[in-house]
Amino acid sequence: MSEFTAPEVAKENIYWATIKNSRGLLITILLLAILPFIIALVDGQPFSELLSNDPGQSKFYQALMIEIFILAVYAISYDLIFGITGMISFGHAMFFGVGAYVTGIMFKSFGWSLLPTIGLVILAGIVNALIFGIVLPRVKGITWALVTLGIAEVFFIVIQSRELVDFAGAEIGLQGVTPPEYLNPVTERLRFYYLAMIFMILVYIFYKRFVNSPTGRVCIANRENENRAIMLGYNTFWYKLTALIISSVTAGLAGALHAIFHPIIRPDIAGLSFTIAALLMVLIGGVGTLSGALIGAATFRLLSFGLDRYLGGSSQIIIGIVYVGIVLYLPFGIVGTWNQRSVRRKEGREQLLRMFTGSKEKKQDENEE
Amino acid sequence: MENNIILESIKLRKEFGALVAVANVSIKVKANTIHSIIGPNGAGKTTYFNLLSGNLEPTSGRVIFKGRDITNLPLYRTAHLGIGRSFQITNIFPNLTVLENVRLASQALGKDNFKFIRDYRHFEQYEHRAYEVINQVGLTERALSQAISLPHGDKRKLELGMILAPDPELLLLDEPTAGMAAEEVPEIMELIQKVQKSGKKTVMLVEHNMNVVMSISDYISVMHQGQILAEGTPSEIASNEVVQSAYLGGLYSDLQVS
Repeated sequence: MSEFTAPEVAKENIYWATIKNSRGLLITILLLAILPFIIALVDGQPFSELLSNDPGQSKFYQALMIEIFILAVYAISYDLIFGITGMISFGHAMFFGVGAYVTGIMFKSFGWSLLPTIGLVILAGIVNALIFGIVLPRVKGITWALVTLGIAEVFFIVIQSRELVDFAGAEIGLQGVTPPEYLNPVTERLRFYYLAMIFMILVYIFYKRFVNSPTGRVCIANRENENRAIMLGYNTFWYKLTALIISSVTAGLAGALHAIFHPIIRPDIAGLSFTIAALLMVLIGGVGTLSGALIGAATFRLLSFGLDRYLGGSSQIIIGIVYVGIVLYLPFGIVGTWNQRSVRRKEGREQLLRMFTGSKEKKQDENEE
Repeated sequence: MENNIILESIKLRKEFGALVAVANVSIKVKANTIHSIIGPNGAGKTTYFNLLSGNLEPTSGRVIFKGRDITNLPLYRTAHLGIGRSFQITNIFPNLTVLENVRLASQALGKDNFKFIRDYRHFEQYEHRAYEVINQVGLTERALSQAISLPHGDKRKLELGMILAPDPELLLLDEPTAGMAAEEVPEIMELIQKVQKSGKKTVMLVEHNMNVVMSISDYISVMHQGQILAEGTPSEIASNEVVQSAYLGGLYSDLQVS
């Protein structure tokens, strides 16, 4: 009874498994890193022009990719509280909006430089998470979702108020933010591209590690069955708050990047529709998969970009239909469904192999008999 | 003698409006015993159990665990004192593996819960403990399958394993055999008995099926309409006429004797 053996799977070297499982990530990093050059090659633009940020197809698509990187960070931060920790928030856009507006206002009205601003964004993100978390011990589930909606709507109204027009620019949005020269999205686009890309990848790796840490596992337990987690002795409040803080800070940093990248910070980014966008991106990619959020963000942005370009105003209808299709036929999202079927794909491959090689073995068996 | 009492309820009372579900119940549970609470449907067993485990707040009365008042402790604190609880409704993490379910249970009382970066598989002591417990409850074969895919009986075993993982002193079990096929019941009861004997644990069992607990209990308290009708060893209870009439319909028309 006291003797037991752990299955081999569990004993597999963790480091080796991590590297093996990171193949996809490494390939993605490589592809993203050479993407501007590939586009320049296709466009016939010399690399010297590309490196000096001359206009061209590559520069145009870099901007699109930067938007995707920012959206991806925003989406993954939503996946942490929605897909991993199991809390539905309707106020997530506020996390993003706070980051964007703090950056914009500090740059424009107070003339702060980049680093102190980033520090303030992180601080604001923590405070923001605490505001959302303050009611967590009392309300759960959909009630908490409505509380977050309320808090976020207050912020949405405040940034559009007439009284703050000098700072936040009311409903037109915050204009005239001058980014630091070395991060100018127009003249230093390639550098901005790599910065946004590295930022996204670092966030992804950090999230991945967090989810696989003891704390992250408790967050998953909270999603699976909060009462059980409490009964086991976990004070789930702290875990939910931790997830909220991490999520809020990363979303805030994405917002800061957004504020530097875009000439106008529109109040829409703090509204409910932007929260729904996060939800959509996570649903498209696969809830609780992390990498799904990145793929969802790319799908989301590329779909609206492509369809807007060819269909103009009527593209919304098509986009809506595509979303319905995704939810109907890929209920677990792109990555979620892929993971689910990977077992069956493996079986299929083995079957194929057997069809070619197995016939020989069979004959041998018969001979032996 | 007093030192032997591990759990005590003092005049525990719960009212739901005009209904008195539990009326001033005082029970003393001796350490290292299996103490069962039985009674017909609607006797207030589960309400009483929820008062003990902290899921319900009593109208009045106190719960003492090892000389400490735990009546108003937050639910998660109780586990840290060494009390494991399982409920009538199976309560597991459905989409995680059996191993991960038990591993999380053994991690709960450790000191590594707020480590953000390091991979959870590096904290081997929890996984080690998890395998030990999985082996103990007889789920080694299914350690890597998803909890939701287990048959019902195995889910109950898993739940028992999750309670055992932090090595509690006191197990509170509310109908551990609820919903199980009749032939599976003896197996889980033997398991409970074995666990209790091997680890010097105290088990408090709420059951509604009398036959199940007769053989393994050291003490039995019979509940009826929110009150304790009789207390004693199984043989005393079996020969108690009041209890017989309570079950057979003298006091209560319920044919729950199986």
